[in-house]
Amino acid sequence: MNILITGAASPLGKAIVAELEKDHQLRLLDNVFDDVRAELVQGSILDSDTVWKAIRNIDVLIHTGEPPQHLPEDELEKEQFLLYLATRGTHVLLKTAAEAGVKRFIYGSTLEIFSAYPDNVYISELWKPLPTPEIHQMTRYLGELTCREFAREYTVTVTALRLGKLVMEEEVVTQQPDPMWLDLRDAAMAFRCALRREDSAAINWARRWAIYHICADFANPKYLIDQAASIGYKPSHNFRNDG
Amino acid sequence: MKKNVLLLGASGNIAPHLLPGLEPYYHLRLADIKPHPDGKPILTVNVASYQQVKEAARGMDAIMNFTVVRDHPVQSFQVSTLGAWHVMKAAAELGIKKIIHTGPQAVRSDYDHDFDIIDVPQASGFGYYGLTKMLGTEICRIYARAYDIQTISFLFNGLGPRPTEKVVKRDFPPFTIVWEDLQYACRLALEIESVPGNFQEFNMLSYEGHGKYSVDKARRILGFEPIEKWENYFKRIPD
Repeated sequence: MNILITGAASPLGKAIVAELEKDHQLRLLDNVFDDVRAELVQGSILDSDTVWKAIRNIDVLIHTGEPPQHLPEDELEKEQFLLYLATRGTHVLLKTAAEAGVKRFIYGSTLEIFSAYPDNVYISELWKPLPTPEIHQMTRYLGELTCREFAREYTVTVTALRLGKLVMEEEVVTQQPDPMWLDLRDAAMAFRCALRREDSAAINWARRWAIYHICADFANPKYLIDQAASIGYKPSHNFRNDG
Repeated sequence: MKKNVLLLGASGNIAPHLLPGLEPYYHLRLADIKPHPDGKPILTVNVASYQQVKEAARGMDAIMNFTVVRDHPVQSFQVSTLGAWHVMKAAAELGIKKIIHTGPQAVRSDYDHDFDIIDVPQASGFGYYGLTKMLGTEICRIYARAYDIQTISFLFNGLGPRPTEKVVKRDFPPFTIVWEDLQYACRLALEIESVPGNFQEFNMLSYEGHGKYSVDKARRILGFEPIEKWENYFKRIPD
């Protein structure tokens, strides 16, 4: 498949490229790149000309939701930019892609929108998100809502992956496990699994839109990943320091 | 003692019609990017600028946000979404505990063919007007929950003057509120101490006879009631 990946220079973007580059034709979109492994489009998702250029002949859009490397230094300007990027940027991207005939979208959201819940519950996709004003949580949630509205009105498949906290297992092995941890490589694998979803022709929009919770497979999980297992998600890095 | 209220979008299509019902009760600070249609003093505030919103909100007890840009691909996000964030962020930083937010009925347009529509989830679609307002409303909800800011969100479609004489061969307008009712609803919203969950959204309409849209929730929580049975102006005289 021809796949466009946004935020491709981010750690998540790079992990997805590594996961998919052998089997798919990749085109990467970001503001700057520090290595070259695929066809590149340099620019911002806020710029519709850049997005038009990037979206040609694409089958699947993977919108990682990851911000560019260089953000404004001023805290207020940075937060304004991130909010604008998650809302208008996502809108520019999906509208352009939908008009160009792209049928499948995958969005990188976050499990952190459930961090307000206590630890004595099992959180599945049925639970209501309770994002806080923390800018990362809030913007990912708003981006997710924006994606949902495209699934409602276009005959496209939109999949939101609510990713846990991205880490590398070998780097945190000595730490107390966080029930939200997700190894970057497993996150990338979840995007591969989501490529299998194709419900664009579904009459009911609720079938065109889907959300999956993605984190490690903990022995005593807070965030349930059973739903993701239905698309083939089976994490390999589960932070079990039991030898 | 009169409360200090910042009215953003004071020169727009709605806010000037609210002044007769608000000025006697509140110290209003009128803010907009354009002159007031009746020549009232206006503080120039662009809600896309956080600094301007925060400065205008200093010393206020409440903020009423009547700003909107409907179908512009850039300004709708800057005003209806980013602007809503600026309002809530300023309220959080300045300790302002009452917000009146506004939005279009369009955010619930998925339900237009249903009846008894009171409190349904937002389903804006991807159009700029509905989506950017829906996102702004979500920001209000997030801040209301985090900072105990009592936030009332009013949904409108039609707004206008009250009927003054009998109307024949015409149905009454759906999801339309007359100015006097909206003035009353704003006073109720400014005075209510708290709302469940710190955030509540209300249909705002004066004509309920269709059995389609309902203000029952506003009745129950705010104590709202259209000040007259406006449907009566549209009564048919049977043969």
